[in-house]
Amino acid sequence: MARLVVLGGGVSGHTAATFAAKWLGSAHEVVVVTPNSKWNWIPSNIWVGVGEMSKEEVTFDLAPVYAKAGINYKQAKALSINPEGSELLNKPFVTIEYTLAGREGMTENVEYDYLINATGPKLNFGATPGLGDANGLGEFTVSVCTADHAVHANEEFQKCIQKMKKGERQKFLIGTGHGLCTCQGAAFEYIFNIEHELNKAGVRDMADLKWISNESFLGDFGVGGLHMKSMGFAVSSKIFAESLFTERNVDWIIGAHVNKVEKGKVSYELLDGSMGEEEFDFSMLIPPFAGVGLKAYAKDGTDITATVFAPNGFMKVDANYSAGAYENWRASDWPKTYQNPTYGNMFACGIAFAPPHPISKPMSSPNGTPINPTPPRTGMPSGIIGKAVAHSICDRILQGENAPLHEASMAHMGAACVASAGKGIFDGTAAAMTIYPVVPDFEKYPGTGRDTDYTFGEIGLAGHWIKHILHHLFIWKAKLKAGWTLIPE
Amino acid sequence: MIREIITYPTPPSVEYATDVRVFNEEIFSLIGDMKDTIEANSLDGLAAFQIGSYYNVVVVKKEQGGDFLELINPRIISQSGKVTTVEKTAYFPKLSANVTRYETISLVYQDRFGNQHSLKADGDFSILLQRKIDYTFGSSFLNKLSKEEKKLFTKKLEFGSDVAISQSCPTIFKRDYITKAINALMLAMIILLIGSLFVSDETSAQFWQYQTYLFYGALALNVIYFFYAQYEGKRFTSCTSCQIGNIIGTAVISLVKFSVIMLLSYFII
Repeated sequence: MARLVVLGGGVSGHTAATFAAKWLGSAHEVVVVTPNSKWNWIPSNIWVGVGEMSKEEVTFDLAPVYAKAGINYKQAKALSINPEGSELLNKPFVTIEYTLAGREGMTENVEYDYLINATGPKLNFGATPGLGDANGLGEFTVSVCTADHAVHANEEFQKCIQKMKKGERQKFLIGTGHGLCTCQGAAFEYIFNIEHELNKAGVRDMADLKWISNESFLGDFGVGGLHMKSMGFAVSSKIFAESLFTERNVDWIIGAHVNKVEKGKVSYELLDGSMGEEEFDFSMLIPPFAGVGLKAYAKDGTDITATVFAPNGFMKVDANYSAGAYENWRASDWPKTYQNPTYGNMFACGIAFAPPHPISKPMSSPNGTPINPTPPRTGMPSGIIGKAVAHSICDRILQGENAPLHEASMAHMGAACVASAGKGIFDGTAAAMTIYPVVPDFEKYPGTGRDTDYTFGEIGLAGHWIKHILHHLFIWKAKLKAGWTLIPE
Repeated sequence: MIREIITYPTPPSVEYATDVRVFNEEIFSLIGDMKDTIEANSLDGLAAFQIGSYYNVVVVKKEQGGDFLELINPRIISQSGKVTTVEKTAYFPKLSANVTRYETISLVYQDRFGNQHSLKADGDFSILLQRKIDYTFGSSFLNKLSKEEKKLFTKKLEFGSDVAISQSCPTIFKRDYITKAINALMLAMIILLIGSLFVSDETSAQFWQYQTYLFYGALALNVIYFFYAQYEGKRFTSCTSCQIGNIIGTAVISLVKFSVIMLLSYFII
């Protein structure tokens, strides 16, 4: 009997674990280690953050789902990996620390034959003074990165609405809280949902909305923007984003690295080296992501973290990490199998794998501060990668160690994204976008690096309906209800 | 080398680079061509996009000295103030539009060696840079126009001229009301014609009487339409094309229809 251990139960880890359990059956064991007791459909957190959904609607208990799937669920966080075992244990193992009520703080070594690292990111609030610290979110801003954060964000948002109803003008500042953030899409959704809710509450005229982000142009979204055919032109998402921001009367600051957050004020540095300050009454700033801080040790106890993980804490996989300067970047730099180059039985998927380089153009201020979005690995790609990795491991367990690995390169993968810009059955809007490939391939598609026949976007009410349907569809799939395998990632 | 400037309706290029990644002889040669084309056409600046190249390059004449400023991968990162001016661009020759832009902008760009620079611009220079940078992202100033201005500019595109577009066009012309009245008369005549099949001879004779009154009325309305429509057409010269042809055609078709109805009425009623 082989044992597969999956670290993390987010979109990627949950997809990998559930498919692996289905394909392997009861002859082999799948273990999921995740510190959370609930699964969270993160894309809907933005609706929790404006009071349009409850926490219960975007989360569910993992234990009964894993019990049904025959998965050994350990509510714990991973501390370290011993890919060669130790002097006491011959097999490779992961050291975990329980977070389960009643067993908090207890540690255990979980042996494995195969390991999937799908821990997701550490929300690195501590990277920006005032945004937070090692313990998480600070006191001056809110976040929608977790369901609990989103509940808190909505409480603060409702207070602002009450103030506006009493005639007190409020300033909303939404965006990214560091020069190296990703997930601009979530902040984009949040600012337009805020705007939509303010309209519904009849206080839009009492609010000033401002976007602040590390993108070098509006509509970059961490993928270097996308280009949509319009009247014979391939028009950049910059033009569409600027139109939307202007239409909704949302001002913007771009190319910004937020370097300090204080009560009611952020300080930032722009790409041209200038410094600025922006005041706010309500602010939601996405933190930068980092690896969760897993350590790795050799058999003799030597620290081999730098061998297994990149400096940012994400796990090294079969990517080309020595591509160097921007002009040398190739689509082929991106990983295909997500196998760790040193230890063939370890894989990483979702945000947990170390990307070879950004997708957006790397930029920095004259002061040397890097200010550019880091590459997104969330949503559809993370699900697809999780499934491909699970497939590879199942093949190796069932067919032997030489079974070929499945590939799911982001440079050969398309993705669809539906970004909400306001919730409502008849007055909701969302921007629906498809992009192919996610990572531009400038050799195959000279110019934009993408196939403009498969890269397009549209905003409207139908987009909102799709977004809402997807919410129910993906929660249905994650709960492993009838026909879950038929629902795509 | 002087290159041909692509003009509407040819799309400048449907494939273009988001950014220049390799700073090589190809880019230097492109910049040289852009400068030659600017000089030859007495322009203020050009985006590479306008001469069919998909590289993210803008060359503009500096405000003072007549020298050129080369901007590779430019990005506007901050802006302030709003100003609306009449703009022209080589892509839409002979046409202009009222475009609202930022008064002051700050941008970052790279030079031909890949070094990053920043620049603040205001006034006409700021507007020129904004217009050219829009091209590098696949957009002409058409995407920056207000709804009303875009409607007007679409008309200008249709006529290929700025001059004729001096007024906005009414949604409904008064002559359309006359046409509606003529159609109502025609409907009434058709009802009388069909009705005559189901009534006595005496009533039928009365119907014929009404039919002739309606016919004279229709004739009179057609005459009024013919002359009034021409008067209105002169007031709104730019609103539709082939005005006189349309007016004659509408009147003739209407008269033919009435004649047919009268002819049928004569034999049936």
